[in-house]
Amino acid sequence: MSKFQTSIHEYLETLPEHTFNRLYQKPATCLAIFRLLPPLGKQIIMSCLYVDKPIPFNEMRLWFKDGAGITKQMEAMARLKALHVFTEQHNSYKMNPTFLQEFRNALTGGGNSESFGLATSTPDKHHVDIAFLDDYATKQWEAILHFMVGTTEGKPPCKGVLNLLGRSGLMTGGSNAQQAENMDAREFASQMARQDFGVPTITNKGFQFLLQDINTQVWAFLLQYLNMAESLNMDLVEVLTFFFQLGSLELGNDYSSEKLTPSQTHLLEDLKAYGIVYQRKRGSRRYYPTRLATTLTSGTPVMLGSHSNATKNAASAAAAVRKTEEEEEDGHGFIVIETNYRVYAYTDSPLQIAVLNLFVHLRDRFPNMVTGVVTRDSIRRALSNGITAEQIITYLSAHAHAQMRKHSPVLPLTVVDQIRLWEIEKNRLRAAPSWNYSQFNRQQDFESTLEYASELGVVQWSDSKRKMLCITQEGHQPVGAYVRKLITKHKEQQAQQQQQAHQHQQQQHHHHATSVHS
Amino acid sequence: MKDISTNDSNLLVMVIDTNPFEWEHPSAPLKLNEALQHILAFMNAHLAGRHDNKLAVIASHVGVRYNGKFLYPTPNEPIPGGKVPTKKDANAYQSFKVVNEAVLEGVERLLRDPKPTLEEKDLGSSKIAASLSLGLCYINQTLKLDALGHIKPRILVLTVSPDSSSDYIPIMNCIFSAQKANIPIDVCKIWGEDAVFLQQAAHITEGIYMRPNDPRGLLQVLMFSFLPDMFARSYLYLPGQDQVDFRAACFCHKKIVDIGFVCSVCLSIFCSFSPVCSTCRTKFAFQPLLNPARRLGAKAGVSNPGSPRPSTPTTPSQ
Repeated sequence: MSKFQTSIHEYLETLPEHTFNRLYQKPATCLAIFRLLPPLGKQIIMSCLYVDKPIPFNEMRLWFKDGAGITKQMEAMARLKALHVFTEQHNSYKMNPTFLQEFRNALTGGGNSESFGLATSTPDKHHVDIAFLDDYATKQWEAILHFMVGTTEGKPPCKGVLNLLGRSGLMTGGSNAQQAENMDAREFASQMARQDFGVPTITNKGFQFLLQDINTQVWAFLLQYLNMAESLNMDLVEVLTFFFQLGSLELGNDYSSEKLTPSQTHLLEDLKAYGIVYQRKRGSRRYYPTRLATTLTSGTPVMLGSHSNATKNAASAAAAVRKTEEEEEDGHGFIVIETNYRVYAYTDSPLQIAVLNLFVHLRDRFPNMVTGVVTRDSIRRALSNGITAEQIITYLSAHAHAQMRKHSPVLPLTVVDQIRLWEIEKNRLRAAPSWNYSQFNRQQDFESTLEYASELGVVQWSDSKRKMLCITQEGHQPVGAYVRKLITKHKEQQAQQQQQAHQHQQQQHHHHATSVHS
Repeated sequence: MKDISTNDSNLLVMVIDTNPFEWEHPSAPLKLNEALQHILAFMNAHLAGRHDNKLAVIASHVGVRYNGKFLYPTPNEPIPGGKVPTKKDANAYQSFKVVNEAVLEGVERLLRDPKPTLEEKDLGSSKIAASLSLGLCYINQTLKLDALGHIKPRILVLTVSPDSSSDYIPIMNCIFSAQKANIPIDVCKIWGEDAVFLQQAAHITEGIYMRPNDPRGLLQVLMFSFLPDMFARSYLYLPGQDQVDFRAACFCHKKIVDIGFVCSVCLSIFCSFSPVCSTCRTKFAFQPLLNPARRLGAKAGVSNPGSPRPSTPTTPSQ
């Protein structure tokens, strides 16, 4: 499951039930949410879709194999319940009736919801082809990324984008949202670009953002937009419905914007700026989804810049398409990394070079490639920018050259291990809030406390020589109680011993004390 | 099936038996167009599962003219819903619609053709074997073109026709090819007697064989048992087969036999003894001592009935 799916999930799960009931009124939304589910979740829905009564718990249990199967079922059901697809009722699972109805409609093409995009009735005089749309989407999206890495390519993005960048914490400098809102776009941009405005314009989060694939980036943007939509008094359900609808549209076709609600029309304007949809001019009656839109819910990586049809239907399985698909595979990866930490990147895109520059020490630049080397310093620089080793490795393997892909594993192990080691090197200290127990008087007191605490699994650290141990915050309560019990027990014993000692005319001085420090 | 991950897309090749003699039989519990509605919903469910799930539909029709016909995709004809603008429907997901229209149209065209004659029916009921080989070829092609190797193929056969014993050898060949290529063959015998060969197909390729109790609940059966992909199957209990009918058909008269004669060189099966193997031309220079049924019962008593002498040891085949 890719990151964007997790993030949209997390977002959806925060929504209240009645929002879901409204969302599920559109078959397109049902389908999109269905696609975000784990595989067994999908299977559960499909198995129950044409059963008209609720499924008892123990009956559904029988579908799954013991052990791993049951675990998967639990995971899937937790997801489904969080999305309010299923509810529990009298020891059985009941499917949300709206979802049931509309998802059936999605499968059979019934109903009259018009949620899969209303086609225009007349042909477009200014029809644009897929190549143009790809070009448009690439230009718009890369302009944003260029702006983030601070290259001078392209014109600065418009105010809405800048606002979003600031709000989402991807860039600092004028990130004071209210202030930014009142500012003219150019003014804002120049302010961001000005040297005296604080040196890094891009934040740690922004660096991480750059390393992710386009799909994740787009979703991150859209989620941020959703958060903003609430403050802009836009209807959340309409915005979400429109996002999911975009994902079901077909690339290269035009759709009518006539039946859109006012907030959706407003949304269209904004999406145009990100390159997600194309409109010839403001207020035009038709719009074209770009590849960024049509792959929103698919989870497949978007390959911008190559003009072949990734969302093709199987009908175009003709050899010609196949060929371009292969070319696409080739064109997608451009990085070669060797066991000697040298990096060769076949690219002339300033954006990709700028991203590589985040963690590679670049050496030479040629018309169609750059070379560099991954060093401890270059990685440490990236790490101190908040980028994790895992993100670097994912980026490298996602953009590995076709030649690299022939090997398994794709990246040389030495390099991967070393990058991880460099990260671990940086994280030698780990801070955790805890309670320190010390000054146990007797070794056996210490040991029984330690035993008790490790049974609970709350020991952070212990040293039996110095009779000290650290307990996590959750463990403080029970362990503290245990120690207090020990003390009182000893006191009683002591009192007894004193009595005996008194009889034997002997005096013993025992002092048991266990102090608790925070 | 070594590495099944959640990231794999599925290629489902469906072989639909459109044998008009069975579908239009008065005792048929389900009409073809009703069944098609179920099947179309199932196809959509498969396509809904993942954005990159792929589908191919092959009709297996009766008659010498048809050796299995692709309903979807249709490579040689103008593509419906392609660049030629078809009327779009805002209520339906476009890629579902394209498939559904292609399949419906294809079936309609098949049925519009003159009905095959009765002789053709006897000649070989439904060309399941031909469709299976088409399907296997298609899978092979798709897998070869898939550079990343993330496509998991499987075949689903929906059949109503009885076994045609003349199909035995081609079907067996398909089964073993599928087994070698790790392609499970699922079989749904919608009604009627168990299909012996297809049952074996499912058994050998580790697919699922099922004969629903009530054919009118076809969709539920399809959704429940045949929809899970290879990933989901490793976590689910799915219908298994208690008993598999392993009977074979003889090569000489295409009869299904329990016990027969087997050529010791090429393993061809015969229902009656012949001195020369019709497949590999091996000559048998002995007479069978007993008839096969009794021999099986008294096999302990029989010792070394003689070994065959291939007439042309170096090149036994023609």
